[in-house]
Amino acid sequence: MSRDTTYRPEASRASRPLLWIATLLAIVTMAPVAWLVGLSIKDNRELMLGTESVFRVPYTLINYINILYSSQAFGWFFNSMVVAIGQTLGVLVLSSLAGYAFARLEFPFRRTIFVIVLFGLAVPEQAVIIARHQMFNWFGLHNTHIGLILPGLSSAFGVFLMTQFFKAIPRDIDEAALLDNASQLRIFWKIMLPLTLPAQATLGIFTFLHAWNDYWWPLISATRKEMFTITIGIASSQQNFAQSEGLGFLSAQAVFASLPVLIVYMIFQRHIVTAVSGGAVK
Amino acid sequence: MSASIEITNVSKNYGTLTVLDDISLSIKPGEFVVFLGPSGCGKSTLLRMIAGLEDVTAGTISVGDQRVDTLPPGKRGVAMVFQSYALYPHMTVAQNMSFGLENIKVSKEEIQRRVHLAAETLEIAHLLDRKPQKLSGGQRQRVAIGRAIVKEPKAFLFDEPLSNLDAALRGRTRLELAQLHARLRSTMVFVTHDQVEAMTLADRIVVMHNRKIEQIGTPITIYRRPATRFVAGFVGSPAMNFIPVQNISQNGNGVAIDASGLGILNAELHLPTAFSPEGAALGIRAEDISVLPAGQSGIPLIVEVVERLGDRTLIYGRLSDGTKLTAEADGRAQVNAGDRLEIALDISAIHLFGADGVAHHAVGG
Amino acid sequence: MAESYRRSHWGHAVFVLPYLTIFALLLAFPLFWSVWLSLHKVDLFGPGRFVGLGNYARVLADPVFLQAFRNTVVFVALSVPTLVALGLFLALALNRTTRAASFLRGLFFSSSVLSVAIVTLIWRFVFIPGEGLMPLIFEQLGLQPINFLSTAGWSLFSVGVATVWWCIGLPMMLFLAALQQIPGDLYEAAALDNASPWRVLTRITLPSIARTVMLVTVIQIVMQFQLFGQAHLMTNGGPSGTSRPLVMYIYEVGFVRWDVGKGAAASELLFLIILCAAMVQYVVSTRKPEVAE
Repeated sequence: MSRDTTYRPEASRASRPLLWIATLLAIVTMAPVAWLVGLSIKDNRELMLGTESVFRVPYTLINYINILYSSQAFGWFFNSMVVAIGQTLGVLVLSSLAGYAFARLEFPFRRTIFVIVLFGLAVPEQAVIIARHQMFNWFGLHNTHIGLILPGLSSAFGVFLMTQFFKAIPRDIDEAALLDNASQLRIFWKIMLPLTLPAQATLGIFTFLHAWNDYWWPLISATRKEMFTITIGIASSQQNFAQSEGLGFLSAQAVFASLPVLIVYMIFQRHIVTAVSGGAVK
Repeated sequence: MSASIEITNVSKNYGTLTVLDDISLSIKPGEFVVFLGPSGCGKSTLLRMIAGLEDVTAGTISVGDQRVDTLPPGKRGVAMVFQSYALYPHMTVAQNMSFGLENIKVSKEEIQRRVHLAAETLEIAHLLDRKPQKLSGGQRQRVAIGRAIVKEPKAFLFDEPLSNLDAALRGRTRLELAQLHARLRSTMVFVTHDQVEAMTLADRIVVMHNRKIEQIGTPITIYRRPATRFVAGFVGSPAMNFIPVQNISQNGNGVAIDASGLGILNAELHLPTAFSPEGAALGIRAEDISVLPAGQSGIPLIVEVVERLGDRTLIYGRLSDGTKLTAEADGRAQVNAGDRLEIALDISAIHLFGADGVAHHAVGG
Repeated sequence: MAESYRRSHWGHAVFVLPYLTIFALLLAFPLFWSVWLSLHKVDLFGPGRFVGLGNYARVLADPVFLQAFRNTVVFVALSVPTLVALGLFLALALNRTTRAASFLRGLFFSSSVLSVAIVTLIWRFVFIPGEGLMPLIFEQLGLQPINFLSTAGWSLFSVGVATVWWCIGLPMMLFLAALQQIPGDLYEAAALDNASPWRVLTRITLPSIARTVMLVTVIQIVMQFQLFGQAHLMTNGGPSGTSRPLVMYIYEVGFVRWDVGKGAAASELLFLIILCAAMVQYVVSTRKPEVAE
């Protein structure tokens, strides 16, 4: 590895203190999380008397057990799963098809259409959300899973990403397949698609995380409590926090709601880091 | 299974840009033909047109008795080995080799048989379950060739297949390709810019330059009797010496050439009556120039640089009027920069190039 | 026909059709529809009448909008430099191959994957008077506790802290990527030239990543201009609107008061601001890289 043998001043002794400061920052950064986890494993009645009890035994899993009995949190969790998975699959299919066509096929107005789609990257959600809300009203799509999934499919990011990935595959590969008598569909399915698996994973992970964490659209579209996503559910229970189920229960719910994204993050950390940094940081 | 390839009046334009201009060429069944030329001469485009990866703008291409320029690439019965090998990265070696056969619904047993046969031939049987990224450059190259062989094509097309290998491997693979051709007796078309590959592999070389074919001929013809000044300069290392000609006069059954720095040379050489010395040049290879032993007098040469290659010595110098000239001596020659040598030309090996670039060769050369 | 795969063909458009349909219905049409709405007096109960730029005039004359705009600008002006500086610091500190550095990189990025509702919950539990972590610490230190979430000034500050905590991962990663792109031989040459670590940083490292610094800054401006969830959930814009950002203004006008035309007008104004920033981003990102290969 050239990087190990290369002289890097950042890795030299002179920058040692930087690492210590960063470690200190990390501890400060994690303190609020530790606080939340601490609250989640304390009995609510004990917390009522004073939250400094977090630093004392006894600890309990009662709040987590209570989530099992709170049908709402599970319903929200299910909604989030449906929306996040649905949106992820939809984005992967649409972006792969469109990305392949933009990168490899010729059709009238290809460049013009691509430029228009790219322009879509610059349109923030806020610019369309009022009109979208009205449209979904016309079609009765509010408070439905489909209604929560659809807007996320319009993001141009996936198309852009997949186009870049398909373009990065050497032309020789398709030409070899053409000489191998493969049909256009077979080239797409057996050659091109498998080669973009890393890109599919990247796009899939980001779409999933984004859908799971989305706040704006579910906030205005899912107005019936049973159609809340977990993000909106958590948000709504913290807004009327005074009359809510207590700090311990809310904390446990937050930990529970974060588990899927944290699991996805831990499994795919390397992949996510590589994707964010354009492959430079392993 | 080998077939002839007939290229008739083929042209290729990209918009207003002409890449190939009215090319005609016929390749015999089982022949090994090399397209040789500098980059951008159109040789790869011509190969890709045979493969069907580029459209022909005008003209026809036939493989065997069948006109193919209107057929899709897969239906032409040709196989191609790409410069980058273009192996499918996600498939094993065996899958790479069978993919094309599966596409045309060859039976499983037959695919098995062909893949194993080709793998044995190329000594890659132990690699069949590996993926391309686990292979060395030389192994990938063999797999690419194997993928072509299993298709039992009417013709093999090679697009600079050796250029990604290191020098030692390139030499070895070149030999193996020659053996493969000897064994398969297939029609092979090979594109390269490397004259050594062309000289060693080809039955016939097609030298291309500037959208056109400069010369078609056996390696020895191309080397000994280059048709144009371009061919003469492109083939051979070091490049042929070109010495400006001042005047030419008829002289018995030959001509007297007055070339700068060489003096008057009498050569047996037939020139058309219309030949004009204006812009003409005399060509001679370094190996046809000898250094005379001390004491003998010939043409004086001031040595500027000496390159010792071991088996021979290249002497770069200037003639009395400053014209550059490269001569060759054997490996033990005692020559140093700054020396003043006397040299002689093998007059039967000279060529005369008109201003139009067309070559005229000395009789017996 | 040979080479048909490269020949222009209507049939090939089938591949883009599914996405284009969604794009047209859910992005292109709503964009135009929003503009149309912004030019009309519309409310929840029905189609309105054309009012030209009336809605825009109403928005621009609305003191609440102006306050929200000012809040947003202040927020961007404070949070973006913090994110850039902190991200750069972390990247410099963690640009090494050790296991500890890799762990810390993962840690600092991990907060980015949480949803805004979780982030705000975490920070509310830190700031909340009486029961939060900060009041506990203040109490231990014998200080007068500050009511962070409902004191003017501190509320926007708290939103900023949560935002920096949430968003620090991306700038750090982008800077790390840029640092890795600097050719190692530059550092070897500098070492042979007896350059001190400080001079190496200011003369080699920083100039080499100048373009990334620009890019990260613009990306963050675009992102932070869209501040919504943190403020909505932590302070609800309070007290008396001092922490209300632009997007929350749009939300309140469009979805709480249902003044659809005015909300649309405000959202188009925001779009214009973001479009300008995005254009700067495009120019920056397509400029030639400063480190030649």
